[in-house]
Amino acid sequence: MSGFVRGSVGYNDLGLPGMWTRRIGKDVYEVFIGPQHPGSGHTRIIIWVDGDIIVDSEIDMGYVHRTMEKLSEGRQWIKAIPLFERMAIHDACNVTLPYVRAVEKLLDVEPPERASYLRVLLCEINRIAAFLYGFGIFGVFLGHSTMYMWPFGDREVWVELAEWLTGARLTHTYPVFGGVRRDVPAGFTDALRKAIRYMRRRLEDYRKIFVDNPVIRSRLEGVGVIPKKIAVELGITGPNLRASGVEYDVRMNHPYEVYDRLDFEIPVFEEGDAYARVLQRVEEIKQSLRILEQVADWLDKHEKTPIMAEKFWKTAPPLYKKVFQEQGRVKLPATFAIMKVPAGKAYERGETARGEISYYVESNGANKPYRVRIHSPSARNAIVFKYILPGHRVMDLPAIYGSIDYFPPEADR
Amino acid sequence: MPPQPVHKRVHPRGVFSRFKGNIEAITIGVKFFFNPERSTLIYPKEYIKLKDGYRGFIVLIKDKCINCGSCARICPAAAMKLIRLPFTDPKTGRTRMKLWPVINYNRCIFCGYCVDVCPTEALYHVPYHDVVWDTMEEAETDLEKFQKPPEWKTEKEGIPVRYVFDEKKGLVKVRVEGEE
Repeated sequence: MSGFVRGSVGYNDLGLPGMWTRRIGKDVYEVFIGPQHPGSGHTRIIIWVDGDIIVDSEIDMGYVHRTMEKLSEGRQWIKAIPLFERMAIHDACNVTLPYVRAVEKLLDVEPPERASYLRVLLCEINRIAAFLYGFGIFGVFLGHSTMYMWPFGDREVWVELAEWLTGARLTHTYPVFGGVRRDVPAGFTDALRKAIRYMRRRLEDYRKIFVDNPVIRSRLEGVGVIPKKIAVELGITGPNLRASGVEYDVRMNHPYEVYDRLDFEIPVFEEGDAYARVLQRVEEIKQSLRILEQVADWLDKHEKTPIMAEKFWKTAPPLYKKVFQEQGRVKLPATFAIMKVPAGKAYERGETARGEISYYVESNGANKPYRVRIHSPSARNAIVFKYILPGHRVMDLPAIYGSIDYFPPEADR
Repeated sequence: MPPQPVHKRVHPRGVFSRFKGNIEAITIGVKFFFNPERSTLIYPKEYIKLKDGYRGFIVLIKDKCINCGSCARICPAAAMKLIRLPFTDPKTGRTRMKLWPVINYNRCIFCGYCVDVCPTEALYHVPYHDVVWDTMEEAETDLEKFQKPPEWKTEKEGIPVRYVFDEKKGLVKVRVEGEE
């Protein structure tokens, strides 16, 4: 090859820089969007366009596939937690919690009540941060760069809170078998309340500049409509499903941890278009703030009790208890590294920011998992691009893509 | 009280909604144009003084280490390794080979399992992780190097700041003074 010319690799019948295009027939072109296109993330969407209208589309997944399920079979139980976090690092607690719960089921341990509240606390902080991340990406897709800067700036508030609680900005590795790793530091709940009040005020700013902006409404209303029946048939999940009018949320239908004791709503929208999905996420942030408020009240009212299951904590040496009293840090039992899990099968699910994630865990009594099957929400939502895109204009593709909040590393695992 | 589903509808566009929406969007844009809320960190001129409990670089206190090898066993990234070195017992004067942990920062993911699993608290985190090494070999530690915190050049050259939570502005950058 005589030097690389931009856009010259493969076929480029339309002459678009950096994009593969091929003429299929009269006026019909095949356009490859991705996998390194800034608008598509690490996935490739192939569309066939007739003029400006998408006549057919296909999604080509697997660009960031990391054989996560297989890798987990080669490492000890606890080492799989930091591995699974890499699916969605800004939603780390939500993504790993069902795995931890499934293994807890096999081990027959129950986390203490305080640990459950702390798990919910980090889950909701993660959820808000993940929604804001999605809003930022969505904003820049629509050319609204203010909506790119603001949510990313405000997400820093929640990332900072998570860092204070766990010691790491993103990959928290917070829930472990039998409990969580850190207790809330002094002054945390006050900062949390400040962040909640700030976010409530900020959502009003978002409404003015983005959600109720006539330009944004015109681009999103009636675009990418997923009717209720189709949404169920395609098996999509999470806020996208609820925006189509289906009352399904794992926190409501199959409550885990302490979600059944908290007072919050599951918002459901009927329209099922891109605009309804935006409003759905705004409403879900509001509900998450409500949950966080209740968790903060609970943590203030109850004094510090052990956050590790009795089974592991009763054999803890005095040094472990001293470290927990002084620093609020749970020292892991030495057996965790070589722990054998009784043979059996367990299935657990949880609600992440993008929808329902489920883990099927099988143990044959060894110190490593025999099989871990992960069904992640983005993998379920990806099918939308095949069935919903046709009929729309090319301009609507970023609007639909952003409103679905598709996250390739999570889908490809 | 368990969560309840609540059906909502997109609010319809009114007669003046387009006009009102534009005015609102422009007003808030102008407001933030004149009164911006910025919390940008001018790194490395400024650096964040991280809170206690931050999971940064890991340092070994050799006197506390009992050579159990738990840290190497639990490391998910195989960054912690055990090396065999002679050790002279000060009480009996006998020299024996013992296993000591060393860490390779090319592999470390800062999960902090090793610090939490150590039965004698022989490992601790330092609250920073912005250090640049020129070669990959420099990121590997031997037993001597593992006992000292890595050299933190940012601290010598930058101004320490801290972000505090604020109701109005979210995060506010505050200069840290008079500590240590």
